[in-house]
Amino acid sequence: METLHYLALGFGVALQPENLMFALMGCFIGTLIGALPGLGPANGVAILIPLAFTLGLKPETALIMLTAVYAGAMYGGRISSILLNIPGDEPAMMTCLDGYPMARNGKAAEALAISAIASFMGSLIATVGLILLAPLLARFALTFGPAEYFALFVLAFATLGGITGKNPMKTLMAAAIGLIIATVGIDLSTGTQRYTFGVLELYEGVDFIIAIVGLFAVSELLFFIEEKAGKGREMIKVNPLKLKWREILSIFPTSIRGGVLGFIAGVLPGAGASLGSFITYTLEKKIVGQKGYFGEGDPRGVAAPESGNNGASSGALVPMLTLGVPGSGTTAVLLAMLVSLNITPGPLMFTQNAELVWGVIAALLVGNFILLLLNIPLVGVFVKILSVPPMYLLPIVTMVAFVGIYSISHSTFDLDFMIAFGVAGYILRKLEIPLVPVILGLLLGPEMEKNLRHAMQISDGDWSILWSSPLSIGLWLVAIIGLVLPVIVGPILRRRMQAAKEKVG
Amino acid sequence: MSKLNDRVFGLVMLAVAVAYYYGATQFPVPFGGSEAVGPETFPKILGVVLAICSLYMIVKPDPDNPWPAARTFVELGVAVVVLILYALLLEPLGFIIATTLAIGTLCWRMGAKPLRAYLTGLISGIVVFVLFTYGLELPLPLGLLEMS
Repeated sequence: METLHYLALGFGVALQPENLMFALMGCFIGTLIGALPGLGPANGVAILIPLAFTLGLKPETALIMLTAVYAGAMYGGRISSILLNIPGDEPAMMTCLDGYPMARNGKAAEALAISAIASFMGSLIATVGLILLAPLLARFALTFGPAEYFALFVLAFATLGGITGKNPMKTLMAAAIGLIIATVGIDLSTGTQRYTFGVLELYEGVDFIIAIVGLFAVSELLFFIEEKAGKGREMIKVNPLKLKWREILSIFPTSIRGGVLGFIAGVLPGAGASLGSFITYTLEKKIVGQKGYFGEGDPRGVAAPESGNNGASSGALVPMLTLGVPGSGTTAVLLAMLVSLNITPGPLMFTQNAELVWGVIAALLVGNFILLLLNIPLVGVFVKILSVPPMYLLPIVTMVAFVGIYSISHSTFDLDFMIAFGVAGYILRKLEIPLVPVILGLLLGPEMEKNLRHAMQISDGDWSILWSSPLSIGLWLVAIIGLVLPVIVGPILRRRMQAAKEKVG
Repeated sequence: MSKLNDRVFGLVMLAVAVAYYYGATQFPVPFGGSEAVGPETFPKILGVVLAICSLYMIVKPDPDNPWPAARTFVELGVAVVVLILYALLLEPLGFIIATTLAIGTLCWRMGAKPLRAYLTGLISGIVVFVLFTYGLELPLPLGLLEMS
C-alpha cells in the first residue's frame, strides 16, 4: 500500500516536536478565530500568513500551523452559535437552530460537548476520505495538459459563487477584477511592463497577501463600525457538564452520516461547507422524523450540521491540494500560503513535495485529536475570551494585521495599499460582489495566463485547442452548468436557507 | 427600491474595462516579434469579460443595500484616516506610541470609554512590541522612545 507508506512518512513529519507545537498553537488560535463573531476562518488565516512568514518557519511547519488554524476555526464556529445565537462563521449557522435552544434549556455544556464530538467525527471521516481520494485524483490530474488546466481554472471561477450564490455575473466580475489586478507588473515571459505606470512598487505586481489582509481584515473593521456592534451580545452561562455515554453514542449515526455527506459537499465544486451543513441538517430531520424535536434543542440537530461542516472543510482540501484549485475562501487563502512559499500546488506536489503534503494530511489527523482534547475541557477559556467586546477586539486584530504586513517588507507603502484594499473591500461587499473570487483571481491569474500561453504555443495559435479533448469539453460543460444552475436552483435553495435563518432570528 | 449603486458601479467598471483594454493595445511589441499569444492577449480577454459584466450590472442591477447615515459615514471616514495616519506615523513616532494612539482612537470611536480605550492601545502595543522584538527577534521601530 503506497498510501500507507506515504502516510507513515507524513506522521514522521507531523509528529516532530516543533511541528506538533505549532499544530497545537494553530488549533488553539483557530478555535478562537472561529469562535469570535466577525472573524471568519479566511480572515483569520489571512492575518496569520504574514506572521508565519516573518517567523521564517519551514514550509511544512507553516502549512501545518495554518491547516490547524483552519480546522480549529471550523470547531470554534459552533461556540458562538450555541452561546450567543450568532454563528461565528457562515457554516455554523445551522448549529444555531438546535444549539441555542439547548443552551437556553440549561444544557449549554452538553451542547458544546456534543458538537465537539460531532465535529471530531466529521473531520475524522472526511480526513480518511481525503487520504483515500486525494492520491487518486492527483494521479488523474497528471494527465491534464495546459488546455485542461485553463478550462479547470474557468470552472473554479464559475462554480465559486456556489449553487446558493446570488448573482453569478457578480462572481464573474469579481473574478475578472482579481485577474486584472494580477496582470499588473512585469510580464514574466516577455519582460513587458504592464500597467505599472512607472511606479517602482508595482513592478513586482500586487502582493496578494496585502490584498487578502486588506480585503478581509480592514473591511471587517469598517463593517463593525457601521453596524455599531461594538458592545457585543448577552451570552448564556455555561453549566457544569453532565454527559452520559448513552447520549454520546446516540449521536454517532448522525455524525457518521453528516461527515460523509459533508465530505462530498466539500469536494464538489460549488457546494462548500455552508451547503454541507444545511443538507446534513435537513436530511437528519427527515430521517429522524416525528421522533425528534428539531428546532427545540435536539442533540442530533447540533451534531448533524457540525459533523457536516467539519467534513466539508476537510473535503474542500482535496481539490486545493490535488488540482491547485481551491473551492472556498479559506482554502484559497491556504493556497496563497503555498504559492508564496514557492510551492506550485497541483498533482506534482504529491510526488515532488510528498513530505509536505502528507505531513499536512497527517497533521490534520493529529490536529483533530488535539482539537477534541482542547475543546472539551478548555471550553471555559474560549468562552471567557468570547466575552471580550468587539470594540476592543477588532482594533487589536487590525493592529496585528498591520504588524504582520509591516514586518514582511518594512514599507509604509504596503500598509497604505492594504488600507486601500480594505476600503475597496467594503464597497464591494456593499454591492454584494463577493471577495473570494477577487482573491482567487489574484492568486490564479499568473498560472491561468501561463497555461493559456502554453496551450497556444502547442497549437500554434489555434484557439480551438482549448476545447479539443473530451476532458476539457467536460470541464467547460461543468463550468457552464456552474454558472447557469444558480439562476435556476439558487432561488429555491436560498429561500429554504433563509427560512431556516429566520427561525434563528 | 433604488438600484443606483449597481448602475454607477457598472459604469465605473465599464470605463475601467475600456481603459484597461486600450492599455493592452499599447504594449510594445516584445523583442523577437509578436507571437500568437503575447503579453496583451490575456488582458484583452479580461477587458472584454469585465465589460460584459459591467453592462449586465447596468442593465439588470440588484436592489441597493442601504448606505450608512451621514454620521456613520463620518465615523467610517475617521476610521480610515486613523488607519492611514497609523501607517504614516508608525516609523516616526515608533510602534508603541503610534499603536496607543491609533488603537485607542479606534476602540474609543467604537464605543469604549476613552481611558479604557487608550489603555487597551497602550497595553496591546507594549505586549506586541515585546513579543516581536524579544520573543521573535523581529524588531519594530521604537521612534521617539529610542533616545530614552
